[in-house]
Amino acid sequence: MLDVVVIGGGMSGLTAAIHLAGAGLKTAIISRGDPVCCLSTGCIDVLDLGGRPMDGYGALPEGHPYRLVGKRGIEDGLRMLKDIMASSPIPYTGTIRANREILTPIGTFKTTCLVPRTMEASQGCRDEYLHVISFAGLKDFYPSYITSRLPDTGFSLFDAGCSSTLALAARFEEQGFLDEFCSWLSSIEIPPGRVAIPAVLGLKNPVAVMEEISSRIGRTLFEIPTLPPSLPGMRLFRTLKTAFQERGGEVYWGNPISSVEIRGATVEAVTLAASGRPTRVQGRAFILATGSFVSGGLYATRESVREPVFNLAVRVPGARKDWFLHDFFMPGHPIEGAGIEVDASFRPAGSSLENLFVCGSILANSEIMKNRCGHGMALATGLKAARQCERMLV
Amino acid sequence: MTFEHCTRCTICVENCPVYKVEPRFPGPKQAGPDAQRFRLDPEKSVDEWVKYCCQCRRCQVSCPYGVDVADIILKAQLKYGREHLSPLAAHLFANAYHFNKLGSTLAPLANRASDWPLTKSVLGLFGVSRELDLPEFRFVNLERGRRRMGRGRKVVFFTGCHLAFNRPDIGRKVRDLLASTGCRVVMPAQTCCGLPALGNGDLDIARKFALKNAAMLTRYIDKGFDVVYACTSCGLTLMHDYPGILDVPGGRKIAENTYNVYAYLFPLLQAEAEGGPLGTLELSLAYHIPCHLRALGIGYPAARIFEMIEGLTCSILDDNCCGLAGTYGFKKRNQETSRRLGLIAAQAVRDTGADTVVADCGACRMQLSHYALMPALDPAEIITQAMANTPKRSRAGSGIAQKILQTIQMKRRSA
Repeated sequence: MLDVVVIGGGMSGLTAAIHLAGAGLKTAIISRGDPVCCLSTGCIDVLDLGGRPMDGYGALPEGHPYRLVGKRGIEDGLRMLKDIMASSPIPYTGTIRANREILTPIGTFKTTCLVPRTMEASQGCRDEYLHVISFAGLKDFYPSYITSRLPDTGFSLFDAGCSSTLALAARFEEQGFLDEFCSWLSSIEIPPGRVAIPAVLGLKNPVAVMEEISSRIGRTLFEIPTLPPSLPGMRLFRTLKTAFQERGGEVYWGNPISSVEIRGATVEAVTLAASGRPTRVQGRAFILATGSFVSGGLYATRESVREPVFNLAVRVPGARKDWFLHDFFMPGHPIEGAGIEVDASFRPAGSSLENLFVCGSILANSEIMKNRCGHGMALATGLKAARQCERMLV
Repeated sequence: MTFEHCTRCTICVENCPVYKVEPRFPGPKQAGPDAQRFRLDPEKSVDEWVKYCCQCRRCQVSCPYGVDVADIILKAQLKYGREHLSPLAAHLFANAYHFNKLGSTLAPLANRASDWPLTKSVLGLFGVSRELDLPEFRFVNLERGRRRMGRGRKVVFFTGCHLAFNRPDIGRKVRDLLASTGCRVVMPAQTCCGLPALGNGDLDIARKFALKNAAMLTRYIDKGFDVVYACTSCGLTLMHDYPGILDVPGGRKIAENTYNVYAYLFPLLQAEAEGGPLGTLELSLAYHIPCHLRALGIGYPAARIFEMIEGLTCSILDDNCCGLAGTYGFKKRNQETSRRLGLIAAQAVRDTGADTVVADCGACRMQLSHYALMPALDPAEIITQAMANTPKRSRAGSGIAQKILQTIQMKRRSA
C-alpha cells in the first residue's frame, strides 16, 4: 500500500511527488502519457502583468491559485526547482525578483522568469550583434524570421547530415561531431557579438556542450527554444522524473484510470485500464494533477465541463454561450478560468473527500495564458498540495 | 483511440529512439497516425520505411491522448510484410524458435559453428548483422531437467525462448524462487510467444505459435493456475497481443491471469522477509528498464524487491531503448541504428558509475553488456544471490551470476 498516489506526471504532479518522496513517503505517479511540459520551452514563467513577477500579484483575483498559495509559497516552489536543477547537469538561472526576456524562434521576445543555463545569455542579446547558427534542412527553425525582425543580426548554416532537433541533439552528444562543428564555427567570419543556436545541444549535458563550444570559439552562446519536439522541455521533464525516481518514487506509465474506489470520505484506490488485467493502485492519499483541457484533466462537452477521474464539480464561467470567444488564444478567454476550485488546504471545494488534493493547471481561475504563470503555478501549487498531504499523513 | 485522435503534438516523436538516429524513418507521428490517413486496405503498401520502427512502443506509452501509435505502425508493418517478399533474415528470425531448438540440441557444435567465419559470411548473406555475437545455446535447456517443483499456489512459468535455450540457469533461478516462496511451479512444453514473427512482418507464423501456447495456457488456467513470465517482451505479447492483434481463443483469459514474475513474487518475498531485509548484497546496480516492461504499465516490480535488499543501491534508467529490440538489431539494415542506440543506452549505464547493469530482458542484457563492457544480470540473479548471503537461508547462490558478483566484490575490496 502506498502513502500517496499522484495522478498526473506533469510539472505540478512531479513537484508534489518529489516533495513527498523526499519526505520519506512511499509515492507513485500514474501518468497517462508524457506531460505537455515536454513540449514547453523549459522556461519557468511565474507571472507577467508588467514589471517584476510579484508586481502583478495584487492584481490577481481572490480565487487565483497564487492567492491561495501566497507569495512565500510561490518562492518556495521556485527554490525547490532551482535546487533540483542545480544538482543536475542543467542548472537554472533567475530569481523571483526579476522577469527576463528570451529570444524566440520567430524573432520575438518572450517574458519568463527562470531559464535553463543554456538560455541565460539570451537576456540582452538585442544590445549587440547576434549571429544565428542553424542547420541545413532543419525543419521548423528558420533563422530569417529572426534576421528579418531584428536589425543587427545574421546567420550561417551548418550541414550536419540530419534534419530534426532530436537527431541533432543525439549528434551533439558525440565528441567527434562536436569537434567537427566547432572547427567549422571557428572557420566562418562572424562580426563581434553573441552567437545563438536552436536548442539542440544534446539531451543530457547541454550546458557542458555549450560551454565547450563557447570556449573554443571565444564567444557567448545561447540556445533558442524551438517548436515541439522541444529539447529544453524534455530535459526539464526527465530531470524531474529522475529526481523523483532517485527518491524512491515509482511511475506507472501509459494507462488511463478506469475507475476509482471511494468509501465514505476516503479515496481508497484507483484502477488503471491495461491490456489484460487492470492494475489497482491503493494509497492513503491522492493528488490530482491531471492538467487542463490539453492534457485531459478537464473535458468539455456541448453542455458542460467535466473532470473525468473523480467527477469533481468544475467551475465554469457561466453558460456555454458565455465562454465562446472567436479567438481561442486570446488572453482572458473565459474558458481559461474553468477548473476545480479548492479550499485553503487544496482539497476540492464542496467535496467531502478528505484525502484528495488538487494542484496544477486543473485549478480554477488560473488564466494561465493571460497571467503567463504556467510552470510557476504548477510548482507553487504542487508543493503546497504536497505539504498539505504530508501534514495529513505524518 | 484511433489515428483520428492524434493532435500532432509530437510527444511520440520525442520518445522515438529510432527517429533520432535513423534519418530514413520519419518518426512515429508520420509513420503512425499521419500516414494512416492514406493507407487503404485494397492498395498495395508503398511505405517501406515503416519497417524501421523497432516496436519499442515508447510512442504509444507516451501519447497523452491514448492513440495506439505502435499498433497502427505494427499493422502497417504486417500489411507490408504480407504484400512483399521479405528478406531471408526476416524469415529466419520469425522462426527463431525452431533455430533455437535445433541449436540447443546441437549445442556444442552449434556454438562452435556460430564462430566460424564461414557461418558468419553465410548469415551475412542472409542479412544478419555480425556486430553482436549470437547468443550461446545450452544443451541442458529448460525443456530438459526439472519442470515441476514445490507445492502451494499453482503457477505456470512461461519461460520464453531466451531463458529456455540460451540462459536456462536464469530460468531455473526463477523456478526455484517461485518454489521457495510457496508456489507449485510447472514449466509445461511451450513454444515461442510469437513476437519475433510479429516483429518480422509475419502474422501467420505468429498466430501459429500463439495458438499452441494459448491452448496450453488456458488448460492450466482452467485448472486454477496463474501464469507468470520473466521476459517482459513475452509478457507484453501475452497481455497485449494475444487478446489484441493475434486474437487467439482464450486470449482475454490469458491476459487476465498472467503476471510479471517479480510483481508476483513481491508480496510473497515481503511475507518471507517479515518486515526485515530480504537479504544482503553490497552492490550498486544500473537497472535498465526494458521498453516493454515500461509499456506494461505495471511499474518496475523488481525495483520494489531490490528495495528489500540490504546494501543494494539501484539507479533506474528508463529513458533509453537498448536498440537491439529482439531481432531488430540482428538485421544488417538496422545494424547502425542498433549500434548507435546501444552506445547511448550504454553511456547512460556507465554514467551511473554502477558495478553492474540489470535488465529483465535477455536482448537488452546482450546489447548492454556488449556496449557498456560490463556484465548484465537478470533481477533473479541479484535476488537469489542476496538471499543466499543471508545466514538463515542456506540456499546456495550459484552459476554465472555468483562468479561475476564475486569478481566485482574483489575489485571493490582492492580498490
